[in-house]
Amino acid sequence: MITKEATKVAPAPVPQPPEATRPVKHRRAWDEVPRWQIYTPLSIYLVFTLIPFYWILLFALRPAGSTSLVPWPITFDHFEKVWTQRSFGTYFENSVYVGLATLVMTTLVALAGGYALARFDFKIKNAFMLALLCSQFVPGALLLVPLFEIFAELKMINSLGSVIIAETVFQLPLSMILISNFIKNVPYSLEEAAWVDGCNRMTAFRIVVLPLLRPGLIAVGSFAFVHSWNHFLFALMFLNNQDKQTIPVGLNTLMSADSVDLGALAAGGIIAAVPVVIVFAFIQKWLITGFSAGAVKG
Amino acid sequence: MKISILRSRRAALAVALGSVLALTATACGDDGSGAGGDKGEDGSGKGKIVFWDNNGGVRTDIWKEVIADFQKANPDIKVEYVGIASTEYQSKVDTAIQGGGLPDVGGVGAAMLAGFAAQDALEPLDDRLAGSSLDGKLNKDMVSVLKASGGGDGTLYSIPTSANNGVLYYRTDLFKKAGLDEPTTWDTFYEAAKKLTNAKKNEFGYTIRGGAGSIAQALDAAYGQSGITSFWNGDKTTLNDPKNVAALEKYAALYKKDTPAADLNNDFTKMVAQWDSGTIGMLNHNLGSYQDHVKALGVDKFRGIPQPVGANGKRVQVSNPVDGLGVFKSSKNKDAAWKFIEFATSHAENSKFNKAAGQVPSNNDAAKDAWISEAEPTKLAAAALTDGSTSIVQLPYYLPDWNTISKADNEPNFQKVLLGDMSAKDFLDTMAEQLNKAQAEWKEQNG
Repeated sequence: MITKEATKVAPAPVPQPPEATRPVKHRRAWDEVPRWQIYTPLSIYLVFTLIPFYWILLFALRPAGSTSLVPWPITFDHFEKVWTQRSFGTYFENSVYVGLATLVMTTLVALAGGYALARFDFKIKNAFMLALLCSQFVPGALLLVPLFEIFAELKMINSLGSVIIAETVFQLPLSMILISNFIKNVPYSLEEAAWVDGCNRMTAFRIVVLPLLRPGLIAVGSFAFVHSWNHFLFALMFLNNQDKQTIPVGLNTLMSADSVDLGALAAGGIIAAVPVVIVFAFIQKWLITGFSAGAVKG
Repeated sequence: MKISILRSRRAALAVALGSVLALTATACGDDGSGAGGDKGEDGSGKGKIVFWDNNGGVRTDIWKEVIADFQKANPDIKVEYVGIASTEYQSKVDTAIQGGGLPDVGGVGAAMLAGFAAQDALEPLDDRLAGSSLDGKLNKDMVSVLKASGGGDGTLYSIPTSANNGVLYYRTDLFKKAGLDEPTTWDTFYEAAKKLTNAKKNEFGYTIRGGAGSIAQALDAAYGQSGITSFWNGDKTTLNDPKNVAALEKYAALYKKDTPAADLNNDFTKMVAQWDSGTIGMLNHNLGSYQDHVKALGVDKFRGIPQPVGANGKRVQVSNPVDGLGVFKSSKNKDAAWKFIEFATSHAENSKFNKAAGQVPSNNDAAKDAWISEAEPTKLAAAALTDGSTSIVQLPYYLPDWNTISKADNEPNFQKVLLGDMSAKDFLDTMAEQLNKAQAEWKEQNG
């Protein structure tokens, strides 16, 4: 029975959050800076960045011989010329193929290697990491002749496979280091919990760890794609047939020893840049997260 | 249900990975055989040959036409064309000399000849030319230049296809407006450069080449004014002769006074683009950019004339590299490769090629064709090269170090001269010392 007395008992004081944890409205540094101090340097930077792009668009879209500062009357002749007469359609296909294959191979191998670096201790681990880092200082040009000889032995000269393998090999060290840092950020206890629930290491990795690596995989994959998309040297050296060459090599052939078709060069430049811009537009959110997460903890 | 989804995902992943690996590993390729030391074979004169164009891209269409004509005339030979940008050609061939993968036939101009010959990558062609219908029909001077550029033993490793020549392009509309005479002498050249400059309005009399390729143009101006007609005086170069020093000082002083400041880093691409789209009175380049100027300005607003004459009324200019075709020693089908060279340098094909490329033909009959008179700079250049009005200072392309000395070693120094950080005398003395040393080494190696 509840007595009156009991009902008169003073209600227990509602616990108040300690003073320190209350949300305090701080004035942010942002509010204290005059807007012009932010927007002026940004605008200047933007002008310097965008003017070259405008110049490329101008040359690509205005008729040959025009000196107008606006692309009017607009023409797509240069695009048509490079796409059909200069075989950029074929180069584009080849670059997409090389880029995607490099992306897949780099990501898969880096994932396996990165996991080993993050989760296993072995004797030469530090030396191996050092070797991976040092390999970044070796320019591709130095290895051209040995690589050429290896691919010649494998009968892979003039095959896109040679470029894909070379690109993958050069992408792997950095990709493995990045991926291993991402994996280190995933608590080991999550995997252990999955093992307790009956998963083996592979399944636990696939179900528990892999979904958490999405920013890292996007960062590494996009980096591999963009690098192989833009890379010139291996495609130039290992590919001979015109129908196997890639966009950077095609762009290079638009400049001859004494003459250059600037309209075609600008149109080719835009064709080369658009996929990269689109890729970055879609993935920039994950890319920034990915690189910062991979960079902070190691 | 979950298990089946997992299985299908796993299968899809396995198929994707397997496909990538399989495609990568099995993508059709070749073994890239044919390195610098291979002796090759004459072959049957039939079958497939590979041709590397040393200035691919812009010339691709005309080469494909020549190849189509050749295959029509020789149905048992197939030519595989590979266009390589001129800037990358040397490194591609050098890699193939070391690692294998040389073509059967390729572009071999005077500037690269010594390097390839020194690596024993080229087939001597003297005997083949002597037994060919081409014998006596090729421009003797071009043949001599290629013989001299091959490393010093007088062997012919490359059959000339065309020659280029320095041209002084000037804007006829601007000259007319300013009441100036044609810049046919160095005095009128300097006068025009000064008179056409109004920096405040972004108008300039001349555009100087300060970036890649600046040395040949600077030497052209130095020898053109000094009137010195030989690069060597015994074993020493005439490069740093006081007359050349004075001439170069005067020429370099044009920078920023009568030229845009941006010229400091101009290679030919930027220089030509700047001239075609701006208000600049004169430009020194070669025949190769003629069509670019026509596209940008039309034929009425400019002319291309030979270099100005000196005070003694004589024109002196430095040699422009002669272009040609060579057979690579490692070729397994040298006879077919030679047939292609013979065909490409025959009257009709050489004429067709040079008309499209805007160069001076190597075939004497082609040089007499009507189109030569229609392209004025080519006509004037061809005349200047053959009528005795011009003395050519032969640059030492035969020195294996020539490309290094005239590019990597001294282009930055010429920029210092333009900026006033180095005197013309120090610049020429430095380069002369390097050349004298390279010449001594070359003589020692070649007896």
